[in-house]
Amino acid sequence: MSDAKDLIDQILNRRPRGPRSVTPPGGNWPTVQPKAFVAGLAVLLVVWAALSSLYTVQPEERAVIKRFGRVTGIADPGLHFKLPFGVEAVQIVATERVLKQEFGFRTESSDDPRSQFAGGYPDESLMLTGDLNIIQVEWVVQYQINDAVNFLYSMREPTKTLRDLSESVMRRVVGNRIGSDVLTVGRIEIANTARDEIQEAMERYDNGIRVIAVQLQDVVPPQRVQPAFNEVNEARQELERMVNDATRQANEAVPRADGTAKRTISEAEGYATERVNRALGEAARFTAVLAEYRSVPEVTRARLYLETLTNILPKIGSVVVVQEGQLSPLPLLNLRDAQRLPQSTPVKP
Amino acid sequence: MKNVTYVVLVLVVVLLFTTRTAFVVDQAEQAIIVQLGEPVGDVITDPGLHFRLPFIQDVRRFDKRLLDWDGDVSQIPTLGREFIIVDTTARWRITDPLQFLRSVRDEAGARTRLDDVLDSAARDIVSGTDLEEIVRSADWQVDVSQLSSEDAAALEEADLQRPKKGRGQLEKDILATASQQMPNIGIELVDVRIKRINYIESVRGQVESRMISERQSIAARFRSEGEGRSQEILGNMGKELRRISSEAERRAQEIIGAADAQATKIYGEAYGRDPAFYAFSKTLESYSTLGENTTLMIDAESEFFRYLQSTTGR
Repeated sequence: MSDAKDLIDQILNRRPRGPRSVTPPGGNWPTVQPKAFVAGLAVLLVVWAALSSLYTVQPEERAVIKRFGRVTGIADPGLHFKLPFGVEAVQIVATERVLKQEFGFRTESSDDPRSQFAGGYPDESLMLTGDLNIIQVEWVVQYQINDAVNFLYSMREPTKTLRDLSESVMRRVVGNRIGSDVLTVGRIEIANTARDEIQEAMERYDNGIRVIAVQLQDVVPPQRVQPAFNEVNEARQELERMVNDATRQANEAVPRADGTAKRTISEAEGYATERVNRALGEAARFTAVLAEYRSVPEVTRARLYLETLTNILPKIGSVVVVQEGQLSPLPLLNLRDAQRLPQSTPVKP
Repeated sequence: MKNVTYVVLVLVVVLLFTTRTAFVVDQAEQAIIVQLGEPVGDVITDPGLHFRLPFIQDVRRFDKRLLDWDGDVSQIPTLGREFIIVDTTARWRITDPLQFLRSVRDEAGARTRLDDVLDSAARDIVSGTDLEEIVRSADWQVDVSQLSSEDAAALEEADLQRPKKGRGQLEKDILATASQQMPNIGIELVDVRIKRINYIESVRGQVESRMISERQSIAARFRSEGEGRSQEILGNMGKELRRISSEAERRAQEIIGAADAQATKIYGEAYGRDPAFYAFSKTLESYSTLGENTTLMIDAESEFFRYLQSTTGR
């Protein structure tokens, strides 16, 4: 302690001498009164203290207050005071804001009415599916800082960890399914599983991040393979088309055949009706004639013969008579008629 | 005047003294006081204002939080000899700052150890494992029977087995191996995750080609399936058409037959009353249908001839 006192004395003794030897008499120094100097210094200190002790917290933020490095509290939005001169420090964290991490693409500007996106982060987006194929997945993780203190003090790089974990989890989830599943029906389930698993990891690290949602964006096969996938779609369309064509053809032909069939049956029925009616008619005619014939058989018989002969004789070319016992040659009859009758009018008695 | 100077000087000295003695340990930090290069006292884990002896004691600060390690991207062959790119990431923290200070001094030193140990652990585990095991997880549940026809064409059952360990277990294995190999440098490895795995560039091209041919075969199958189903439909149509027309034909013949039978019955009943007269009148009827220049052959004994003679003789 005596050493220290000596030191102070030494300094004190030396100090007043120093400036005088350097500054010429009548210079700037002596004009400033020491009292005024101290007062000025004090005012400056007060102003600095006042300024450095005021801070504002925006509505979406919370401020973590630290006194000598130790967290002592959290300040809500508004104007606040803290102890100056580095005794208290605040760290402002946007806890109410929903933050977003993009994987496989970046939103280049969201100022335009339409956001501009840039892909081309194959390292992030290319991954393997369970059937060892390659797939390109772009996704977004939305999160919120729900515990400012944990966010600041449980991990050094919570945001980077969120990124790493998101990639890791997404690859695990996608790798646990086959490619076509990821491309089609699995999207929602993948997003939900990924969210749960990322959230679980964040809770394990206790880093104050709450994952709100994981949203899959473009999920596509690698560039070079896409035409082949399109080809499959085209082939599927073609299959549909061929089936439709054939069905159309069948739909055209079968009803027509049905119609034709009905027609055939109707025609048969027509024939049947006609046939039966004819039979009935002829039978009736026969019965009627028979009744008359029976009353005078001989005359009617002769009459019918003769009428018939009268009708047919003009048409007859020749008549060959076959006589029993007389085998051949056969006697010919009425050969003259054969010559004459065709060009002359029938011979009438 | 003199008093004021005194006050100022005392203040300056006090300030100087306090800055050399008092120090702040942040919430995120832990600190060790080092006296002439030798750590003294316990580790300060309690954040706040602390004191030390000025000039001879120094403070070493270490992060208390969970720290991040990002591995190099390394090419590793799997058990199946596919070369893949593996990118790992790990979390660690300084648990024993004294040991940490003695063995590696600072984080950069720790990182090189971590690089060595984790890279080699990852390499060991990955190269002893099939790619499927790394890609799939233990809760793998792809049921081959439930695959769409499209996938079933491209995949075989043997390709879709549940992994024996799966990615999660492999990550744990890497962590266990690394923790075991890690020299005592006062840190704790919290977890190791495989961040990225992918085929190396040349293999990727081959895999893409395989995917293309796979898709093309599926497309071809769709086309021939379309052809097949079209033929099936047309075949069924043919069958149906034949059934319809033959059934109609059968029905028509039945109707015709019934009508013929009925007609026959009607004729039979009518003509049966006098068969002789029927024969007579039918004969006459048939004569009347004769055409021009017909040669008529008549039995000389027949009635017809008789009448014929009588007409000609008249």
